Amino acid sequence: MSGSDPGKLISKADNLTTLSLTRWSADWESATRLYEQAANGFRVSKDYENAKLAFEKASKGREMLSSPWDAAKSMESAAALAKELRNWTEVIDFYRKASELYMQCDRPQFASDSLAKAARAVEDALPSDAIKLYSDACVLLEDDRKEQMALDLYHAVTNIYVKLEKYTDAVAFLLKLGLAADKCNATNSQCKAYLSAVIVYLYAHDLKQAEKCYNDCSQIDAFLRSDQNRFAGKLLSAYKEGDVEEIKRVAQSRSITNLDSVVNIFYHLHCCFWTCMCLSYNNVKDSIIKLARKLPTGDVAAFKTNAAIGEGEALDENDLK
Amino acid sequence: MTVIDILFRVDEICKKYDKYDPEKQREANAFLDDAFARLYSLVEADIEKALAVRFLFSYPFLFLFSFQTLIFQINYWNKMQKSDKVSTEKNRAAAVALSAEIRRIKARLMEEVPKLQKLAKKKVKGLSKEDHETRFDMVLALPDRIKAIPDGSTAAASESGGWGTSSSNKKIKFDSSEERFGSDFYQQTEESDQFRQEYEMRKMKQDEGLDVISEGLDTLKNIALDMNEEIDRQVPLMDEIETKVDKTTSDIRKNNVRLKKTITQIRSSRNFCIDIILLCIILGIAFYLYNALK
Repeated sequence: MSGSDPGKLISKADNLTTLSLTRWSADWESATRLYEQAANGFRVSKDYENAKLAFEKASKGREMLSSPWDAAKSMESAAALAKELRNWTEVIDFYRKASELYMQCDRPQFASDSLAKAARAVEDALPSDAIKLYSDACVLLEDDRKEQMALDLYHAVTNIYVKLEKYTDAVAFLLKLGLAADKCNATNSQCKAYLSAVIVYLYAHDLKQAEKCYNDCSQIDAFLRSDQNRFAGKLLSAYKEGDVEEIKRVAQSRSITNLDSVVNIFYHLHCCFWTCMCLSYNNVKDSIIKLARKLPTGDVAAFKTNAAIGEGEALDENDLK
Repeated sequence: MTVIDILFRVDEICKKYDKYDPEKQREANAFLDDAFARLYSLVEADIEKALAVRFLFSYPFLFLFSFQTLIFQINYWNKMQKSDKVSTEKNRAAAVALSAEIRRIKARLMEEVPKLQKLAKKKVKGLSKEDHETRFDMVLALPDRIKAIPDGSTAAASESGGWGTSSSNKKIKFDSSEERFGSDFYQQTEESDQFRQEYEMRKMKQDEGLDVISEGLDTLKNIALDMNEEIDRQVPLMDEIETKVDKTTSDIRKNNVRLKKTITQIRSSRNFCIDIILLCIILGIAFYLYNALK
């Protein structure tokens, strides 16, 4: 059997499924079997296009045989082959179909898994679609109350947003991450998420928002008691004073390097008054650490003057009299 | 036997047989009558002892007169050999103690001097006029000799380093503006400077070490917290796996039991006998047919 030509198997299977005068009902069982064999044969011979088609048909056959689980599995294989062919739209379609089939089997984890795989595949090519896929995956998990699995997905989304330089969206997702972490008592991840949010705001030159965010997050006990809180406080006060050296020093601290694999950074200043300096370049994997090391961006002196005005007039000795 | 043992024994023996020593007896007898001479000899002996002890600390290896001081010196030398630093420390403390002792002796001797003066004035039998006067002079010279015994209160004390010794002032003075301390009073000596530098260096090194440790601990803490979260994440998955595996094992057990039952049924003796009988019948028929056709 395995020796026979996959093409022949496909045609044979097609014959079995097409209805004609001689055939009143399609024999899906044997057809599916043949389709699967053909698909494996094609894959071995690296004929990805045909293999993909074969898997698609096999999946349809399984669906007809009311086994959505196997159908979903075949769909996923088809999607993987589509990825090899770099056919992104097909990848997305197949993975979505697979996730629907998984939901039919009442397995939301697998469903979200396939959506996540899709998102990962198209991350570079179609980031907005990837974001959509990730969010759907997160929704599925949260419905199933498996927020812990969602944390990785939130990290991934944040990464994409930061790459796209959409910082407010990134922060929104970081806060969602914090919420999810709170639900499953992952305090470390939660604190890291909040710290990352503050850093992203600072990177986006938005000190006010950063402070607001920091104040909001300080309401949460777990964050208040953590190292990340102290670090964020130090960073913000360094910004308020406009002290570049202090900012650099604070951003060099361990808290940043420990900010998860999501947040690796290399450090350079990029603003009009100060020159670039690359200080440390450890294991650059992801975005937020990159950001933190790039601090301070923008006109730090401007923050200082604003802060000074905000503080009001100095105390007058005569007031005491 | 060590040298010290020998010395001690000799000393003991001498003391024991002192009464047979004609010279000493003569001295003792001589002094019996002459209170002045006796007292004077005692004072002299004390002065000599004080000087010897003082000498001992300044020049530890100097050869001395009496057996006692010699023994003392040998003991001292042995102790010195053990560790120089410690002995220097001990020296200082011991020097201070000895200086105090010497001062006490000096004070006591100064008290004895008026007594000696009175005794010198008394007339004694068998003593010429010149002897009498020399005695008086000797008594007059005594206070100076006593005062001349160094007792560590002068700047000549070698162990005190360059601290600009505060002299053993009889009067305590505050805001001693009249007395100008030497210009090098506030100067740091090389020794103390070095010490301070060394201290600073060590402190810095310790700080660096502690920084490294703290960084390591930070990393460890982070790793531990992440591991904790990961394990928490795995727990519900493990629970699911457990239930599924439990279900599967019970299914397998059930199936095994049924299979066993089926097999025993198939291989039961009744069926087996029936099989054999039928087989025999078939063989019989075949044999009969074979015979018939032959």
